[in-house]
Amino acid sequence: MTRPRTAWLPGLALLLTGAVTASPSGDGEYLFHAAGCLACHTAEDGEPLAGGRAFDTPFGVFYAPNITPDKETGIGSWSRTDFITALKHGRSPDGDAYYPVFPYPSYRLMSDADAGSLYDYLMARPPVTRENRAHEPAWWLNRWLMQAWQWWFLEEPSPGPSDPQLQRGRYLVDALGHCGECHTPRTLAGTLDPDRYLAGTREGPDGEAVPNITPHRETGIGKWDADDLAYFLESGERPDGDYTGGLMSEVIDNTTARLTAADRAAMVAWLQSVTAQGSEE
Amino acid sequence: MRRMLIPLIVAVAAIGAPAIADEAENYIKYRQAMMKAIAGHTGASSQIVRGKIDAGSDLAMHARALAELNSDLARLFPEGSDFGETRAKEAIWENWDKFEQAARAGTEATAAFAEAVDGGDREKIAAAFKEVGKSCKDCHKDFRQKDD
Repeated sequence: MTRPRTAWLPGLALLLTGAVTASPSGDGEYLFHAAGCLACHTAEDGEPLAGGRAFDTPFGVFYAPNITPDKETGIGSWSRTDFITALKHGRSPDGDAYYPVFPYPSYRLMSDADAGSLYDYLMARPPVTRENRAHEPAWWLNRWLMQAWQWWFLEEPSPGPSDPQLQRGRYLVDALGHCGECHTPRTLAGTLDPDRYLAGTREGPDGEAVPNITPHRETGIGKWDADDLAYFLESGERPDGDYTGGLMSEVIDNTTARLTAADRAAMVAWLQSVTAQGSEE
Repeated sequence: MRRMLIPLIVAVAAIGAPAIADEAENYIKYRQAMMKAIAGHTGASSQIVRGKIDAGSDLAMHARALAELNSDLARLFPEGSDFGETRAKEAIWENWDKFEQAARAGTEATAAFAEAVDGGDREKIAAAFKEVGKSCKDCHKDFRQKDD
């Protein structure tokens, strides 16, 4: 797949107009927040999007790569197609299968148009030189196994609800916010267990327990009303006056607080519509 | 006498240690109760500020309580109070300066909130309340373990 020879032209145009720090398309920046790229791809003491953050999982330790448009150490030489293939199909431009620490099984549900807008936005960020750190997968895990895993487990998405607000909510929760990547427990094969969608898990990222966000009354969010839920997504405040901390507060700060009120309401409508499941003991 | 010195030191430490541990655990219970009180007033304020109920002059009471409860949060986390059942992260004592800053942000935000409530301007009250919540969230983000 050859890259168009004029791929650098938009970048140069932006540079010349002094708009290199502005998002080239209004959508791209919004999608960037909704998809939550920043927190995972930024190390604690690192430059934004330059990678380096470690993810300690049952499958090994993985390091987020540099997704700034740096040509040598980032994704600066990627075409739009390269990017969409990575994001939605979990394949690098060289054809390697990505480890699903990168939540492509969720991003798979994103539209090509949105993925393209994200590409434009990322390509306009400041490039940072930072070498990617090699992953430390479990001894039995390798790229061949990942290819087989992708072939076996990645499914076409189900059609989804017909109500427009629920559709939008599902899109924000599944395709962009990828909430299930934390909130849905995993099978032994490391896939999200569709029978326990959003039912929470004791073994979440960073060793933290992840709450059940199905409408179950005792162990989920069944007692919260729509307003409570929307306000939580906006501010991190729970109905009991406590404020969430840990990884979820990153999600509030970087993603849900930056959505429109209508989008938060759509997410809430979707969450309240999923099957209520009790947490496992 | 010298041969007694080491056993003597050990004995004193052994007697002293449980006493210190007790004190630390008491701080844990104390601050958990304090945090619950803060959550209570915050939750109540939230319902009023967001217009869910009309509670008359109650908001001033909640705001005053919040300002008082938040007046010196760092004091609730003395050295050694990280042993026992607590969600306080080690990071508090490893990064004491940063923690103190986070605690002070709560003091300032609640003081500003109380002032805004006295002033009576609804928009300023709402904005000030947002800042209170932000200070809670930011400290929890770095310094409190998640449970559930």
